[in-house]
Amino acid sequence: MTDGKKKRTHVIRKPPKAPPPKWNPRIVVFACNWCSYAGADTAGVSRIQHQPHFRMIRVMCSGRIQPGFVLRAFERGADGVLVSGCHFGDCHYVNGNERAVEQFEKTMNIVKLLGLEEGRLRLEWISAAEGARFAQVINEFTDQVRDLGPSPLNGQNHTEKTQTEST
Amino acid sequence: MDAGRHPLIDVVTNAEVISCEGEPGDFRARVRKSPRYVHEDLCVACGLCTDVCPQVGGNEFDVGLKARKAIYRPFPQSVPSTYVIDPDACLNLYGCLSEKQRLKLEKIQKLKHRKKDDYQPSLLACGHCLKACNVDAIDFDMRPEEFEVDAGAVLVAIGFKEFDARKLGNYGYGRFPNVVTSLEFERMLNASGVTQGHVVRPSDMETPKRIVFIQCVGARGEGGRPYCSRFCCMNAVKDSMLVRQHDPEVEDVTILYTDLRAFGKGYDDFVQRSKDEKSADYVRGRPAKIDFVPEDDTLEVFVEDTLGHNQRRIPADMVVLSVAAAPNDGAKKLAKILGIEVDQHGFIARRDPAVSAVETTREGMYACGSAVGPQVIPDCVAQASAGAARAQLFLTGHRVEEEKEPVEPMDLSGPPRVGVLVCHCGINIAGLLDVKKLARGAGVIPDVVVSKTHLFACSSAGQDELVKMIEEYDLNRIVVAACTPRTHEPVFREACAEIGFNPYLLEMVNIRDQCSWVHVEDREGAQEKAKALIRMGIAKVRHLQPLEAGEVPMNRSALVVGGGIGGIQAAMDLAFQGLPVTLVEKTNRLGGRLAEPNVKYLYPNMRPAAEILTEKVKRLEASGARVLLNTEVEDIKGFVGNFEISIKGKTQETLQVGAIILAVGADLHDPAGEYGSGKLSNVVTSQDLERRFFDLDKGGSLSPDGGQPSSASFILCVGSRDPEGFTGCSRYCCPTAIKQALELCKKGIDTTIFYRDIRTISFGAEEMYREARGHGVLFVRIPSDHKAEVIGDGRATAVRCFDDLLGRTLEVPTDLVVLSVGMKPRQPETDRFHDMLKASVGLDGFFLERHPELAPVETVVEGVLLAGTVQGPKDIVDTVAQASAAAAKASVFLAFDKVKLDPIVAAVVEEKCRACGTCIDICPFHAPEFVEDPPGVTVARINASLCKGCGTCASWCPSGAIVCKHFTDRQMHAMIDAFFDEEPEPVAVDDAKEQVAR
Ligand code: FES
Repeated sequence: MTDGKKKRTHVIRKPPKAPPPKWNPRIVVFACNWCSYAGADTAGVSRIQHQPHFRMIRVMCSGRIQPGFVLRAFERGADGVLVSGCHFGDCHYVNGNERAVEQFEKTMNIVKLLGLEEGRLRLEWISAAEGARFAQVINEFTDQVRDLGPSPLNGQNHTEKTQTEST
Repeated sequence: MDAGRHPLIDVVTNAEVISCEGEPGDFRARVRKSPRYVHEDLCVACGLCTDVCPQVGGNEFDVGLKARKAIYRPFPQSVPSTYVIDPDACLNLYGCLSEKQRLKLEKIQKLKHRKKDDYQPSLLACGHCLKACNVDAIDFDMRPEEFEVDAGAVLVAIGFKEFDARKLGNYGYGRFPNVVTSLEFERMLNASGVTQGHVVRPSDMETPKRIVFIQCVGARGEGGRPYCSRFCCMNAVKDSMLVRQHDPEVEDVTILYTDLRAFGKGYDDFVQRSKDEKSADYVRGRPAKIDFVPEDDTLEVFVEDTLGHNQRRIPADMVVLSVAAAPNDGAKKLAKILGIEVDQHGFIARRDPAVSAVETTREGMYACGSAVGPQVIPDCVAQASAGAARAQLFLTGHRVEEEKEPVEPMDLSGPPRVGVLVCHCGINIAGLLDVKKLARGAGVIPDVVVSKTHLFACSSAGQDELVKMIEEYDLNRIVVAACTPRTHEPVFREACAEIGFNPYLLEMVNIRDQCSWVHVEDREGAQEKAKALIRMGIAKVRHLQPLEAGEVPMNRSALVVGGGIGGIQAAMDLAFQGLPVTLVEKTNRLGGRLAEPNVKYLYPNMRPAAEILTEKVKRLEASGARVLLNTEVEDIKGFVGNFEISIKGKTQETLQVGAIILAVGADLHDPAGEYGSGKLSNVVTSQDLERRFFDLDKGGSLSPDGGQPSSASFILCVGSRDPEGFTGCSRYCCPTAIKQALELCKKGIDTTIFYRDIRTISFGAEEMYREARGHGVLFVRIPSDHKAEVIGDGRATAVRCFDDLLGRTLEVPTDLVVLSVGMKPRQPETDRFHDMLKASVGLDGFFLERHPELAPVETVVEGVLLAGTVQGPKDIVDTVAQASAAAAKASVFLAFDKVKLDPIVAAVVEEKCRACGTCIDICPFHAPEFVEDPPGVTVARINASLCKGCGTCASWCPSGAIVCKHFTDRQMHAMIDAFFDEEPEPVAVDDAKEQVAR
């Protein structure tokens, strides 16, 4: 089974729309373990298809997501950043998501100061059961960022390499 | 898998019980273990033997679709993971002869070789596998072994057998190769199955374009078993969706059904989605026959479409028969050996399912799952736990403290040496992604020492592979790219912990649930994504720190909230184990809905509810549980092992408990305003009617207008399956309505039931349904998007609706209208406990279980469990089973004196702390506090047993003094960076890195 002989096209479906979009954005999604990450898993279990141009970074709670993370992502060339967590009242840690909103607002201000479009940063609440919504948010956001085009910061700070210093 | 690894579970395969004596608490069973001819402890499951075996035997697991060798591994995740020889297929005589024949042969041989007295008869004709095996695990001299097992209790879980579709000649199963059973179809869809997930026609191995599913084959009467098999409807719906996803060549899928029994939680939504996505064409009708069209090797299904009102011939390339579940062959024999009974169908009989879902007719013997009747998986799992809970009662005193040999922790210091294991997950991942390329790509990333793939990383072979990698390459960091860490991280962590590898130096990358499953339409994008995710995982793992789990004492007692039948059951199950249990009930009596004067008889056994309740309450009293009536829970603090609960009843009190079982029940839908309820005098709910039955003996009347009505109409699904309200099915109403209708009918009242699908899935309900039809109860089917209308002025005179089966609008005169109201989440309890416990609530408003199949009674909050209708609508049988399951799960926590704390918490770097107090303000768990250490220097310190590890304080600390372990700033930044750092192209790959393990 692992001999790689099988190259059937059974899994590929025809792309949904005729001309495939030429440029694909690079999007970072921060998700909390209990709701939005779980919601993405639910989308998986229910096989709800969506666009693949985002990368998930899991944290335990959206409250962990500090402005530094988002800005780091933009600095390194992200075209969009999605911050997600549990619906209000559902946070596994009581009110981490309320804190996340405060952080998010701060971040948004800086992002605007940097001259980035507002549409590149988004906050969404997605519950563990909302697989379909997760897929929908991803598709919408991807399209939105695609319309905005590459981030103006893209390609600037690429020289700096990951530092592997120890703690 | 877990069972195979558990220190207290011995798995004996290839074995049967031949006798069982003794009494509850002290059974002695004799077990005969047939030889597998392979030593379990030696076999490494390398598969070399299978490669050389020349002999081919039938394959039961792949239901005859694929041949297998005589030495084989039953299936990839088998426990034990070793190979086994099929004596009927093996060429070596020893294997295929009976004891008697063999002795005879030995004698002949000895006679032949009389002269050489040290002659050992050898009947090895082949022996290829013997030579191939590197570890000498194969042994043809193995004989059946018999041994005795001491047991306090016996739990029967023998499962079911497929109904033999050959018995229904008109469907041509066995005659036409392209008529397959649902099980065979399922094997094809399975990634590790015969066809690796592709559906093919057995006649020519081509993908079928048109597939027809036929439901209820051999079930619900008609030529087979009288009951409903419960799981087949959803199975067909699921398969129809899956097959379309896997094979776009499949053009038409038709499901021929009678009633769509989507009764489980979220099932109706699933069916709706399948209809929205048009993944299948639903036709109501039972086919008369299937014909073979030899000209083009296709099939033709003859069916009367009962909704379209025409005869149809549906052409098909393949027909899938959703066959019924039948009792297992050995059930009768086993029952005899164990001294228990079987029911009229041949399943293991239960004393009274409404009292206990798992008790057989003999004390100390329990049965669960499909051994007692067809089940869906969530119910099976709940029942299995229930069985375990009951069995535990006989095992008290046998509680074994986890006394694991502490393993010497490995020295993992030094620069990172990362190992990467990429999982194929059968074709779940490998079907879309090029996993070998992923592994190769990962192999050239700096610090990665070895990178491999595995067919099923989570199987025991996969874990062994991981361990081997660690040892062989001296790794100190691991990345497993497979499914979601939410379910599988514990599995891999444990495998690491077992060899002393700090489990927190492992990172899982989700390339299945969040990649290969959801990006089918963009293979390239998915590959890119997986590549990046692995790169990010490696970046994170470089910075991971070994963490140690702390411990806090466990309060070995439990709180049960709610004194309904579920609460009573859970409380007594725990109390009988000798654990202190407190049951709090808001009202002044136990019994919940059962104690209301509106439940008279309980199906299936038609015993009076009051009798069952009295029996339960008596047992509860005997169990020693503390019962507090008129008491409410005011506040809950703390965490598993250390909950602090303020209750208010006659007195105010604070309880310290280790686990909480929520059994607050559900409310009934209030139909006010619907169907003339409240306006028309003779419109009642099913509960009203039940109460009237009750009052009948006391001189009451059945109709609110007095006297006996001449005719009655039941309207089902009031408040259930409602796109605007509760979209799910309330499960209990169909059987209840039929039970009531039957009773009315017997009184000479003309009774009509207006339904959408009859979902008589409960035990014995299908039989009741048939009986009702026999008695002349009229069943009128209305389409799901229509609603019946109650006509009348001041008093209902008729029900008007569109009859789906007749295809026209009917007006049925009626003297009484009964609304079968569904369940809804109980308020304000659901909201209150949701607030206090932080346990999630699902879209339907009911408490959400952690996983429908794997953890049906657990919540996301450790130590908080669900019993009964808090989790979703259920009938009594299922409620009682679930309550016992919750008790069993609670006792798992309560078995230990200590709780292990999650080491993923926040900690203050005290040199950096400026004691601003931000963290103290922010933390909802009051984990940080100011301390003076050394005297004169105030810093914040975080109490690790209160900290839950959300990391919010770490992101708020203005001095950056708080580290959120396992999610540190550095780790997060490394991940972000890695997304945008393209790795070097894998050019020259050194051999060690390219190895691919099976
Ligand atoms: S846990 Fe999801 S936002 Fe806090």
